[in-house]
Amino acid sequence: MVRTSSRWTNFVFQLLAIVLALAFTSLVMVLAKANPLEAYRNIVVGSLGSINKFSDVLVAWVPLLLATSGLLVTYTAGLWNIGVEGQITLGAIFTTWALRVLQDSTLSPGLIIVIGFLSGALGGMLWASVVAFLRIYGGVNEIFGGLGMNFVATALTIWLIFGPWKRPGIGSMSGTEPFKETLWLPTFAGLRISPWSLVIGIIGIAVIYILLQGTYFGLKLKAVGRNRRAAFLLGIPTTQYMWAAFLLCGLFAGLAGAVQVLGVYHRLIPSISSGYGFLGMLVAMLINYQPAWAAPVAMFFAALNIGSIQLPIVMKLDSTLSGVLQGALVLAVLLMDGVRQRLLRRR
Amino acid sequence: MNVELINIHKWFGPVHANDGITLRIPSGVIQGLLGENGAGKSTLMKILSGFYQADEGEIRLDGKPVKIESPADAIRHGVGMLHQDPLDFPPMRVVDNLLIGHRGGLFPNRAEAIRAMQDLQARFGFNIDPYAYVDSLTVGERQQLEIMRLLWLGARVLILDEPTTGISANQKEKLFATLRALAEQGMTVIFVSHKLEEVEELCHRVAVLRQGKLVGEVEPPYRTEDLVKLMFGKVVLPEDKTHFDSKESLFRLENLSIEDYRLQIRNVNLTVHRGEVIGLAGMEGSGQRQFLQACAGIIRPVAGEIYLGEKRLTGRPYREFLEAGITYVPAARLEEGLIPGLTLTEHFVLAEPQNGFVVNRQKAEVLTTQRIADFSIKGVPSSTVESLSGGNQQRALLAMLRQPLSVILLEHPTRGLDIESTIWIWGKLKERCRQGTAIIFTSADLEEILHYSDRILVFFGGKVSQPIEATKTSVEELGQLIGGKGF
Amino acid sequence: MKRTWFVLSVLLVLAVLLAACQPAATPAPTTVPTQPPAEPTKPVESTKAPEATQPAQPQEFVFGMLLVGPYNDHGWSEAHYNAGLYVEQKVPGAKMIYIDKVNSADRPGTTPEQLAEDLVSKGAKLVIFNSDDMKDGAEAFAKAHPEIIVIHASGDGAWKEGKNYRGLPNLGNVMGRMEYGKMIAGCAAALTTKTGQIGYLGPLINDETRRLAAATYLGARYCWSEYLGKDPAQLKFKVTWIGFWFNIPGVTSDPTQVADDFFNSGYDVVISGIDTTEALAEAKKFQGQGKEVRAIPYDYIGACKEGEEVCLGVPYFNWGPMYAKYVQEAIAGTWKPSWDWVGPDWNDINNPDTSHVGFVKGAALSADASAQLDKFISELAGGLNLWKGPLNFQDGTPFLKEGEVATDFQVWYLPQLLEGMEGQSVSQ
Repeated sequence: MVRTSSRWTNFVFQLLAIVLALAFTSLVMVLAKANPLEAYRNIVVGSLGSINKFSDVLVAWVPLLLATSGLLVTYTAGLWNIGVEGQITLGAIFTTWALRVLQDSTLSPGLIIVIGFLSGALGGMLWASVVAFLRIYGGVNEIFGGLGMNFVATALTIWLIFGPWKRPGIGSMSGTEPFKETLWLPTFAGLRISPWSLVIGIIGIAVIYILLQGTYFGLKLKAVGRNRRAAFLLGIPTTQYMWAAFLLCGLFAGLAGAVQVLGVYHRLIPSISSGYGFLGMLVAMLINYQPAWAAPVAMFFAALNIGSIQLPIVMKLDSTLSGVLQGALVLAVLLMDGVRQRLLRRR
Repeated sequence: MNVELINIHKWFGPVHANDGITLRIPSGVIQGLLGENGAGKSTLMKILSGFYQADEGEIRLDGKPVKIESPADAIRHGVGMLHQDPLDFPPMRVVDNLLIGHRGGLFPNRAEAIRAMQDLQARFGFNIDPYAYVDSLTVGERQQLEIMRLLWLGARVLILDEPTTGISANQKEKLFATLRALAEQGMTVIFVSHKLEEVEELCHRVAVLRQGKLVGEVEPPYRTEDLVKLMFGKVVLPEDKTHFDSKESLFRLENLSIEDYRLQIRNVNLTVHRGEVIGLAGMEGSGQRQFLQACAGIIRPVAGEIYLGEKRLTGRPYREFLEAGITYVPAARLEEGLIPGLTLTEHFVLAEPQNGFVVNRQKAEVLTTQRIADFSIKGVPSSTVESLSGGNQQRALLAMLRQPLSVILLEHPTRGLDIESTIWIWGKLKERCRQGTAIIFTSADLEEILHYSDRILVFFGGKVSQPIEATKTSVEELGQLIGGKGF
Repeated sequence: MKRTWFVLSVLLVLAVLLAACQPAATPAPTTVPTQPPAEPTKPVESTKAPEATQPAQPQEFVFGMLLVGPYNDHGWSEAHYNAGLYVEQKVPGAKMIYIDKVNSADRPGTTPEQLAEDLVSKGAKLVIFNSDDMKDGAEAFAKAHPEIIVIHASGDGAWKEGKNYRGLPNLGNVMGRMEYGKMIAGCAAALTTKTGQIGYLGPLINDETRRLAAATYLGARYCWSEYLGKDPAQLKFKVTWIGFWFNIPGVTSDPTQVADDFFNSGYDVVISGIDTTEALAEAKKFQGQGKEVRAIPYDYIGACKEGEEVCLGVPYFNWGPMYAKYVQEAIAGTWKPSWDWVGPDWNDINNPDTSHVGFVKGAALSADASAQLDKFISELAGGLNLWKGPLNFQDGTPFLKEGEVATDFQVWYLPQLLEGMEGQSVSQ
């Protein structure tokens, strides 16, 4: 048998999926008595309309891209690391912890920031290792383990913010006391995006791209993900590879958390992960685990998130509409993929 | 039920898998469908059983044109198909597997299913525990289960695609008897096979496919040469029968005992020589698989010793066996041997020792092209393994074997392959023997075992016979041993 | 293809459901009796309004508002939203734009300062941050945008004598002296309770919430002992904090559950200190089951609407006049940063144009209690100060000596609950 699905037909179906998702979202808006075109225009202007807006998109893009990068590793290994949210959170907690310990020390701020990043990575890996341990030795499905650990991570954040790390005199949802400005990731003048977080995000996805596309590690991980038994019989140490996948994803999630603390919020807040873990899962599904597409699609999602803030201001529409569009997009892509396979099989 | 397939066409991309096939099968007949791998037999049967839709053509059942859109549709029309690779739901119990697809209320009637199953088991002489988990069954037992399921669902046309590949001679006889009985009751049986002797023995009439076309319909008495000619378009030469047993000790088992939850194998002593071929005979599930896996280091024996030369391997991890040059080739190609979704190139990269950190794509591509040529695999380096036919998957598996190797452990190396491929694969394996590699393999085909082995071990319910010289035994004697006589 | 159509139709149904859950597209009907219904602006039309870069009418003045909760929460945020509508109506040319649900749970990945910039890019010249939780954001934004006037409601960054004075030339604060409203609420509760047990549904613990809970207790204790002649020791007053100003599932305690627990354990009046109306809804439910219970909501003048038959009244904020004042000053260019802690207009605490804090009586308040409550209000108007010694903190340490009157500083930064109150003083 010869495969007939060419690049071109794939592209057509992906285009159809986007059209379908837009149609669906437009329908929602029409039913809500809003003008879809106006809404899309606002989203575009609100995300790309000025340098300021675009820099805000980048602020969201970096942690989202880091989370997606990590998830690509676990997806390749056939693991649904839904615990990525908790891993981001723990990264943020560890970074905050390191900064709290070191902020009054004599170390240079740059060094403290570096230690903050390393601690974040460590925190994410630690949290991922719990899920990995449960999965590999306890036989607990990583989805359930991950959900549980997400819950614990949220509870831990709240406890820290209202307990040991509360601001003097008050416990507030606004989070812990902000760090002094020397410990903030330096930004481009007048913008909120830091060149350093951009560098981390880009290096991150580049590393993952090379790792998954070009190395023995990536290939073996793929083998483990596609057929664990056959991979084992081929002599691949499957347990180690599953560990590696979880830990790598945890590392990237932890870095995402560190970026949230060091570059965005400058403190620990209750929902520090900003849902980038779940959004990252959507991105990873949408790109069908092709690392090459991670950066642009994550950018698109980030732009939707930022651009949709315009909707409540201008059109009095709820900005969760961007979530509707994102969800519809993933569903439509999956749907179209199914349709494509059915049609091609029948040909 | 009368089955008529009229002018059936089916394309897969550029491949014309069925090219205007017209075949009429009256009820009460066992119709043989013969052809080499890739001739279009399976495709035609999948069209009849609703897995595919024909691009052109018509299906009539008892003269009435029908549209069969899914396997469920097919079974509603009374057409049931038993697959080459048994389709079932592994993490389930046998009885629940039986209940799947059964018409009935919201709450399945387990008791009834078990009663029906016991009935059918008695008729066929099968022996499957209704509460066993399906993934603990052998391939042969899974096929038995599938036959029972289809009969229980009310199939009146039974399609069997290579049904004898997984089961013992004994079970085969039982199966044939049952098929004959079913035909006498008016059931239509379509028997798809590439094994001439089986078709000749069983079928009332035979249709032969070649390259998607129906090239001939034959009625008894059959002449084997005619059938071979029809199948291949030429006459196939029998291969030579060379042996390379060096009598030099290579692989040694001392008092090896293996246990799993179903059977126990006790105190096996065996010394395998360089270049020797050991055949493992026995009914499916008699312990051959466990034995092979213990030799491969996949399951740990409970007692005894394993030596490769002077190196003691007992209790060492699987990877050390692998590094020592002991390789296991499983029967379930797509479940255990190959990795669906990965290309041939990727498989060969994985099979070779790792060289550095970054994969050298160019080198891998060259190697793959070479292997594809060496092993006559019909595919390109970027073909995913699941897109290959069964025979080509088997060739790919063998092409992945490293060089050199001490011991190759093969489970059903030629199951489901046509004569040509079988001969070709054994040619490749014998080349290894010439280099001093020992081979231990299982097969349900006693002829194959007798033909290629130097010595034979017969398994019966976990008991293992003394090694038998292949030249000093016969199919009949082995058959008796397999049935438990002489243990 | 049948299946594809099935999936498509499921998507269609989903679309309808999602649209149904979209409350924001149609402006909510204004429920404030004191204000004429605001002209509902069609969403599409509003986008056609000229942008700030080219003001069509020279007198147009856009002010922005960041609301911590939903704009129609029948609580804190709706009170601000209505104040915005009031300003639009009272100040010619004033136009409000707003973003609601400004909190990290509802709008992950955003910061208040970022959202404020969105308002500025839509032409806002003055931005109101309506929550204490936006303190860092408000200050950071004020620093980064010296040309924009920032009003941080409930903050203290512009209070020279306060602990957190920042001295920013464009940051002002406004807060109502809700202590009076809370005292009236406490009094109404004390006059009504049969079991002598009053529950206080607290948000998170900070200076503001502590002083409001304490004020409630002071009002309750005063009416309990002075009007009913009962022993203050017999009055039980318990505070349970849920963790935030409104329910965030999985993050805060569920206020519905907390209210239930109060009613089930003998507390027959629950006073809400949170921004939403769960206490009232629960009281209504218990009333339906034949239990004599009452509740007092908070923040928003129309809050009683959700359960008139169990509502004793509501202490509310009326931000409109102050915001109108700021906007007028901003237009005139006379605005100066100030810290305004604004009390009721004692001539008529419910005057929509003058009183920043008010109390509307509810239908469930008995005639007797109503009369006594009026008496209490007039006493307060006459100068009664309940922040007067002797008063002890919850842990027994003295707060105010005999005859000593608390300063604004002492009240604003109240470090503990008072003696006689149950519940946490500081978060653990």
